[in-house]
Amino acid sequence: MSTPEGVDASSAPVTSSDGPGSSSTRHGAATSRRQPPPEPKDSLWLRRAVILSFWLVVVVLGLPVWWKTTAIYRAELPLQTMTDWADGKICKPVFPLRIAVEAPIAQQDAQHLVRTTQHALDDLNDFSAHHLRLMLLDPPLAPNASQQVVPDGSILEENDKENIALLVRLVSVETGTTPRSRLQPYSPTLDVYYTANQLPSPSSTGSPLATFIAHELHKIFAEEQARLAYLLSTTSGARTAKSKSLSAETAAELERQSTRALKYAPTYHLTFSLFSPTYLPSAWEIEEALQDYLSPLLDSFRSISNFTVDTQVQLYSTFSPSMRQPEYDDVLKAWTLRKEDLSGFINAAEWPLSPSIGAGPTVNFALYVPDQAQSPLLVKENGGNSWLVPQWGGIFILNPADAHEDSTPSFLAKDALAPAMHAFSDQLVSLLGLPQSPASLPLRLSTLTRVRAASLLFSASSTLGALARLYRALPSIPVPDMVAQSVDLTAAHLQHACDSLREGRFQGALEHARIAEGEAEKAFFERSMVGQVYFPDEHKVAVYLPLLGPVAVPLIMAGLKELKSMTGSIFPKRSP
Amino acid sequence: MAPLLLLLSLLLAPLALGEHTSNWAVLVSTSRFWFNYRHLANVLSLYRTVKRLGIPDSQIILMLPDDMACNPRNAFPGNVFNNADRALDLYGDNIEVDYRGYEVTVEAFIRLMTDRVSPDMPRSKRLLTDDRSNILVYMTGHGGNEFLKFQDAEEISAFDLADAFEQMWEKKRYHEMLFMIDTCQANTMYSKFYSPNILATGSSEIDQSSYSHHADNDVGVAVIDRYTYYNLEFLENEVRQPSSKLTMGDLFDSYDEDKIHSHPGVRYDLFAGGQTAARSRLVMDFFGNVQNVEVEGGVKRNETEWQDELRAIENMIAEAKKRHNESLHTSPQHASVIDEVKEQEAKRQVRREGAVKVDEEEGWSKQIIGAATLLGCAGAWLAASFLESV
Repeated sequence: MSTPEGVDASSAPVTSSDGPGSSSTRHGAATSRRQPPPEPKDSLWLRRAVILSFWLVVVVLGLPVWWKTTAIYRAELPLQTMTDWADGKICKPVFPLRIAVEAPIAQQDAQHLVRTTQHALDDLNDFSAHHLRLMLLDPPLAPNASQQVVPDGSILEENDKENIALLVRLVSVETGTTPRSRLQPYSPTLDVYYTANQLPSPSSTGSPLATFIAHELHKIFAEEQARLAYLLSTTSGARTAKSKSLSAETAAELERQSTRALKYAPTYHLTFSLFSPTYLPSAWEIEEALQDYLSPLLDSFRSISNFTVDTQVQLYSTFSPSMRQPEYDDVLKAWTLRKEDLSGFINAAEWPLSPSIGAGPTVNFALYVPDQAQSPLLVKENGGNSWLVPQWGGIFILNPADAHEDSTPSFLAKDALAPAMHAFSDQLVSLLGLPQSPASLPLRLSTLTRVRAASLLFSASSTLGALARLYRALPSIPVPDMVAQSVDLTAAHLQHACDSLREGRFQGALEHARIAEGEAEKAFFERSMVGQVYFPDEHKVAVYLPLLGPVAVPLIMAGLKELKSMTGSIFPKRSP
Repeated sequence: MAPLLLLLSLLLAPLALGEHTSNWAVLVSTSRFWFNYRHLANVLSLYRTVKRLGIPDSQIILMLPDDMACNPRNAFPGNVFNNADRALDLYGDNIEVDYRGYEVTVEAFIRLMTDRVSPDMPRSKRLLTDDRSNILVYMTGHGGNEFLKFQDAEEISAFDLADAFEQMWEKKRYHEMLFMIDTCQANTMYSKFYSPNILATGSSEIDQSSYSHHADNDVGVAVIDRYTYYNLEFLENEVRQPSSKLTMGDLFDSYDEDKIHSHPGVRYDLFAGGQTAARSRLVMDFFGNVQNVEVEGGVKRNETEWQDELRAIENMIAEAKKRHNESLHTSPQHASVIDEVKEQEAKRQVRREGAVKVDEEEGWSKQIIGAATLLGCAGAWLAASFLESV
């Protein structure tokens, strides 16, 4: 403001704030127009106070409110820890299996045998994460009795017993080929028969008995090792624990098993359905059949998963119109379905399957009784009458026995259902991912426990990693505190699970891994974590401009004008 | 049981690696009102086709924002047709609509895809897929450059869609996905995708409209869109059985720009293996429900042995239970785990209640603050103008 009035402002206390526009006017019409009276000082200050108060409201109240209401709340997550879990940097799962040895021989000899066997076993093992550790049990109370059968585990501490994977019981015999072994099918016990001269002498470093036991143990746990190695190799490449290389066939077989088996769930829902194209059979003794044929199996899985069961009978269930109808095969003397049509066998559009019951995934078992005119109905390629649909369930075609020549029986008794139940239980075992060897069921169940615990551990870890990546990648997603809590809980339980694995408490590891998995899922699928709908920048301008423009323009202009006049009034005073 | 299982495993047919085990379809129409009849007909036609090819209703998520069958302007109440010959009623007696009317929103769609739903959402309305699921996503409606309008009220942008799919991929919620969209400037909708294993196709390029195929004079509006019409023509005439071996390449090659009146696009680059792999996928991999079944058969099962086994298992369990009961009070670890869980659950309950309450209060306080601010501003304005007038 270097106008003439500005210069003689020192004589006039108040200057016009109109600036050069008014000065030019005055120059143009110097004499004809009268000037407005100078603005009194108090009104000037009042105006400034008003403008200042507006600005104060905007800055002190408006901006924070706008900031607060539009900010997205994102709880702090331990991103680095989460990524480390996903990369396998925190936990390298190991599976130290305790194997108890019970030998009716002198303590020193037994210890020597255990040492040599352990040595032979370590030489055989090429998978460092899976480790068999032999432990000598206290000698039985009556060590002299050569073939006395000691009730298993009676001398073990209750606590230890839970964590013993397998009991090797040495039995001295005089007859038969030795050494030989027998794995008990319904208890985790391996009986090894030997003759006294096969015991290693105290001076030797090896013996046929020790080598034999080592090989037997290695064989028993071969499938488990393969499964765990496969699991380690397929999840996250950063794991160093894998050292066991799998042959191509083994890998393919394991891949197939993993395709077939259902994802782990704490609860599965089993649906047994009877489908018939006619009005017969209209009843089946399913409850008794399930009680007799299936519940023992389900009970044995109880430590891993729970099951709920429902059944239904659906009459007049016809094939889908787009399915190729069965053809009569003269060689088989039966109606046949081609294998490639089997996946369309279930008329998904009309047969009411997978009810939305319960929380767990549904496993379907369908029993189909063909019309008498199309019976027997078989699969063309191999003459079979049942098949398994990976991760879905199983189907069994029940061709009524020939005794009912004229019509389909109206009632299926328990005995008639036995073959179907047998097939279903085999399919269920397969769908649940139970390994096929060794022959002892408790051993296979404990293998499944370990495999499930490890896979849950990996899946919960990878969920954490996914959440961490999303947190970084999508800044517009709100993250409530619940998520942070769940993440912490997941990490804690993962740590517990990992520790339990290391200590050989596999059931505990499964429990912790299950909780960790549940928490991780809860964190990832937190309801409020749905991203704000994406707004391009022009949309933001379009929203804010009509709202704030009319308010902002007078505010800013008034502010600028006042600043200008203030500097104008201050500056000349200083300049001389 | 073990020898049987072994036998079983030997008889199983070898399967291809990395296959899918389930098929899901998400079919979305996004427009309301009678004159958008054709969008509902598009979706219902696709619904009928995938159902015919074997995807069960429980694995189809159908979103219909309007009910054309019961629209008062419908000259054929209860029916929806996709052709002027009216040979096929799409709205038969076996339609399961999962999201209807005002439930069809951008939020619902994104929640569906990412499974961030409330715990009381029925399973039939959720996309319960895993890393072995192939998903067909079909969308139709009115769209523009990088957006698709939902119900005249909101729109989903290509960015939202891409982020949703990325979240699905991160959580391993699909194996392969076919994204198909019939709207104006449809190809822009899949241009922002960045997640792997998505095969995307759309009806028209940027700045291009998609056109309807023909109108039914008695219905009074267009009944189907061109792009969908020719897709359906291929699916209905060529893919007649679930055992069909036609590939996605065959489907894409069947697109005739002279007939469709726009340039359909296909995006292969996200797919593992690129164009050749994507084109060699079977049509049934996405539109049908074909898995490799494992036939067991010809095996004479040994029934008596099996029943002996069952009895033995029963005894084993009875014994285990007895032991467990005996050792129940002496097994501290097991109990402590349960206790810990319970404790945490209890804590969680308490915490959750707190959180909800705080949320609500915060919501109210936010509104109060907002109202106060507005009032304050208005008051300040009034005061200032009053002062000015004085």
